[in-house]
Amino acid sequence: MYIHINCRYIPTGVLFDLLCAEAERPWNLTVHFRGYPGKILTPCEGEDSVKWSFINALKEAACIITGNCKNIMNMSQSDQTDLWRSVLNGDMDAYLRVSSKLKLCTIGDDHSLKFNNTLKSRQSTIDTDVTAPPRTGRIPVRLYIRSINEDIDDIEDAPTIDSWDKISYINRPFEIQGEGECFTLYDAVKTLLPELFADKHLLADDVSKGEMEDGQLSEEVSCSRTSEEAGVTSTDYVGSPPDTAEIKLLRIQGIEPKMEIPFGWVVNNLMNPEHYLHICVYIKSVEPITI
Amino acid sequence: MASETRKVVVHLRATGDAPILKQAKFKISGTDKFVKVIDFLRRQLHRETLFVYVNSAFSPNPDELVKDLYNNFGIDGKLVVNYACSMAWG
Repeated sequence: MYIHINCRYIPTGVLFDLLCAEAERPWNLTVHFRGYPGKILTPCEGEDSVKWSFINALKEAACIITGNCKNIMNMSQSDQTDLWRSVLNGDMDAYLRVSSKLKLCTIGDDHSLKFNNTLKSRQSTIDTDVTAPPRTGRIPVRLYIRSINEDIDDIEDAPTIDSWDKISYINRPFEIQGEGECFTLYDAVKTLLPELFADKHLLADDVSKGEMEDGQLSEEVSCSRTSEEAGVTSTDYVGSPPDTAEIKLLRIQGIEPKMEIPFGWVVNNLMNPEHYLHICVYIKSVEPITI
Repeated sequence: MASETRKVVVHLRATGDAPILKQAKFKISGTDKFVKVIDFLRRQLHRETLFVYVNSAFSPNPDELVKDLYNNFGIDGKLVVNYACSMAWG
């Protein structure tokens, strides 16, 4: 269910997983009827705008999975309505009926990652008419990383968040590397966050792509680390120095899955209806996290 | 580790009756958030309300990092950003 709380792009359940370290259930919600911070948040314009957010996210996911989002753009009005209704009502059968037409499935029934010719350099696929969209072998993942610097024993003692700046918000697809590989959730998180777990010098500086234009949109901003191609490089962890970061808590869809679970199962069963897998991670890091 | 800022080439394309910019391609730091592109367009076009899309398809979250968008949706070495004065792609 999508509500405009912090940001129209983040599902409410994800906000709960991310912000409430102590998962109290049922949710203890405080609703404010006055003093809406209209300067920071966009006003909620009713169900239509929430539906818009859902379809928008679905298009984004389709773009990652297939390289274009024609199948969403070409969806009939009635299918779109049915899909949205099924999400609103939590009707799994109706949802599967419509979403199967979108052909966005990347994982087989046996939870193996289907490997479909990875398009190394995607040419302008959005302009070409494709009936059966090519697979890119990528799974849309949104990572929300909350770093905890203090040494706390109990995750429930995590301080409450007072600023969004303390959270890293990353949209980084998981690239399927090879057929039949058994990837655990832990492997996937490590691959997705090489900045935190990999031997840093292995993050080879790749050649900068694209022709450089004279224009400069902004002044130079210094940054400590770059991670282009980050989730892409197959990094060999053998012999790497001890990890600098430690996962204190990982939540997907309100649960704390075991890290040994096959990643394919996680994707199949815990992905959101818009085909994104939202992973909330609490990380204890020696150094401040810069991603 | 040596600090380095990777730049992303952003190609700004007008859609509908939106004014065309004299310069369409810009470089922006990959660690910047997408909101920087939106604010830049707002300033250039002197408009408060603007609809900004990637690949003529969807509106990214303004909090998204430019390098994430480039890695996910970049085509031929650049990130194509479409802007319109009214909603273009529902």
